[in-house]
Amino acid sequence: MITQEEVSLYIQNIPPAPSVLRQTLEYLRDGDLPKAAKCAEEDPALKLYLKTLINRPIYGFRNEVSDLNQIFSILGISTTQQILYSYLLSLLLPKQWSLFTLTDQNFYDLQASLGRKWEKILKHLGLHNRDTESAITLLPASIIVCDALFGAHAKEVAQLRSVKALDYNTILIRLSKRSLFDLCSEIALKWEMSPSIAKIVHAASGTDSQISGNLKLLAQWMHLLLFYELSQSAYVSAGLNEFIDFQIDFVQDIYESFMQVVDDETSR
Amino acid sequence: MKPAVKGRVAVFHPQGFLDGNNAPSYVTIDDIKAIEHMNIDMLLVSLKKVIFFNKNGLDVFIKTLLTIRSQKHISVGLCDYDHVKFTTIISFYKNALNFSLFRTEKIAELFAPSNKSDSRTVLLYNEDPSQRSAMAIELFDYGHNPVIAQSKKEFDEKKQHPDLYYAIIEESYLGIFGQKIATRVTGNAVIYTIANFLDAEIGNTFNITYHNNSLNVGFRLFIFDAHKVVSMNVHALNFLTKLASSAAEYNATICFVGLTFEKTPESFKHDLEDAGTLFFNTMDDILNNKQLLQDLGGSSPSATKTNRALTKALINELPNFIDATVSTIAMMTNAKAVKNGLNIQTLAVKESKNQFASSIGFYGDVDGIIILVFPKNIAKKACELLIGEETEDEEAILDSLAEFVNIIGGRAKALLGEKKQHVDITLPRTYGDIDALMQIVQNKKGVQVDLSFEGSNFTFFLTR
Repeated sequence: MITQEEVSLYIQNIPPAPSVLRQTLEYLRDGDLPKAAKCAEEDPALKLYLKTLINRPIYGFRNEVSDLNQIFSILGISTTQQILYSYLLSLLLPKQWSLFTLTDQNFYDLQASLGRKWEKILKHLGLHNRDTESAITLLPASIIVCDALFGAHAKEVAQLRSVKALDYNTILIRLSKRSLFDLCSEIALKWEMSPSIAKIVHAASGTDSQISGNLKLLAQWMHLLLFYELSQSAYVSAGLNEFIDFQIDFVQDIYESFMQVVDDETSR
Repeated sequence: MKPAVKGRVAVFHPQGFLDGNNAPSYVTIDDIKAIEHMNIDMLLVSLKKVIFFNKNGLDVFIKTLLTIRSQKHISVGLCDYDHVKFTTIISFYKNALNFSLFRTEKIAELFAPSNKSDSRTVLLYNEDPSQRSAMAIELFDYGHNPVIAQSKKEFDEKKQHPDLYYAIIEESYLGIFGQKIATRVTGNAVIYTIANFLDAEIGNTFNITYHNNSLNVGFRLFIFDAHKVVSMNVHALNFLTKLASSAAEYNATICFVGLTFEKTPESFKHDLEDAGTLFFNTMDDILNNKQLLQDLGGSSPSATKTNRALTKALINELPNFIDATVSTIAMMTNAKAVKNGLNIQTLAVKESKNQFASSIGFYGDVDGIIILVFPKNIAKKACELLIGEETEDEEAILDSLAEFVNIIGGRAKALLGEKKQHVDITLPRTYGDIDALMQIVQNKKGVQVDLSFEGSNFTFFLTR
């Protein structure tokens, strides 16, 4: 089915972050929003992405916001960084989803919903910073990678899964010795993301042993948030509920608090 | 979501949250249609990976399960839950629990009517005496040995020695049961347990596919354990005489054990005898009489009076079966299996030690049996994707080998289907001891293909 060589080739073929985006992120890291906005202006696709995103109903603006300076000011440094990473991820989207019955719109909705809830969670945990906020943008990369690697093998996977309830991540580990989360870390490295982002997302697999403290806490909340979202009707229908193994014991002790934060978020 | 099927038990594995909004998305109309075509005895929903569920969510699943039950006459229910989930389910359905609950999948498998596993000793406790008895009877009918704890105290004491039992059954519940007649295999005899008043419903509860399947793969002795039968009507009689007549075409014998004619007309006995049925008082009268067992064809399936020859139709499909095997190995291991030689012969295995084997039968437009014989280390390698971690546990390897050969059967079925050839596949069988396999296939001619994979040889054998 999938070989180690195929996996390596896939990662190798992922393009590096575009130079304009890298420069924009650089200015953001320095805290210089005006320069970052000016730099982002040079990439029309990025500009369009940001404009479309900020004018979605979820942000609640009555009049269209089109000036990047204004957009960056509204979002702030952390959220802008998160959105730039989301844009980067959107460049990886397949022309056509072949394993999951997803649309790009479904995927953007998932990204947006994860982002909003994650922000609430970070505030609740008091662990809000640029890297923790951006970590959530890397998480859906696992879905894109999964679709890309298994898309051509959907029939074989279905046969395998007809006799044993194996998730895609487990199948990948057994075939290539690398998990979807390992691949996310490799993508993060390629895109020069902060190592702490990759660490959080990797730990969110729920299978990393020897993690503790805040990293463990963030990983638990991210793992449960992912399954909260993947249990939504649209994503169950898309087949996403089965793509990784839900580590129920890993998240059991934060479940009550999670529901309070998420229910609170939902009711708003 | 498609259920995973092990043996004749199909299980859905939803993950995360389950409520009234998302539950309909887990099982689509296409999924239900696929289940309708599956040859299963039990359909369950596993709650192992569900962290939250409410009644609306469960209701959606339960409604689907009950619809399928009414169509297929199979057992349905929930499995894989802890104490908290169990008490929640009970509180949701206290007076309307009409489906089964099994604490684990392993426990559920013990209650599957077409049971292929060995007799297991299990510890059983249920607060409700009627449930306790019902479970014990079912387990006994399926050939198991239930140790029944009569009180919680006794149960807690016995539970201290888990190594004595294959499974400890608690917090489980039998819903409407007896959807199918219990079936088990003892040696080379198939035993059906029938009870109460037999009427036209026997046509629904008797698994005719399994029976035909058993005839096709070489079973020749079928015993109806009828100790608990009160009486029968003419519809049941018609069904049973037809069954006996059709079995005669295969030189198979149907026996009744413990059937009394106090409330059943004596003339029914004559009708059944005319159709070739034999009557015995106890099971031991047959199973402990070696000479009788041999005469009836129950000493070994190879004791059939006719050895079925290979047909041209079967040989024509040989490339499909080899393709299915080679492509399954490629899928599971990313390594290529190479064909080294092909001969029409009886099965020859050079070294019978340290070998595992598995087989799967198919019947329909063509019929036959695929047998694979592997060195143990190669069997382990071939099943690595299914097993996961390194294991020396022979039972786990044989279990995975059964799943492996099931995939091959599924692929062969699909390949034949593309050519408009319809076949059904039997339950896979595994052999930790090659001698047991050799007994079954001795004198059977077939096509032996020697294949190699990662430097080691293994054998593919196709016969009838």
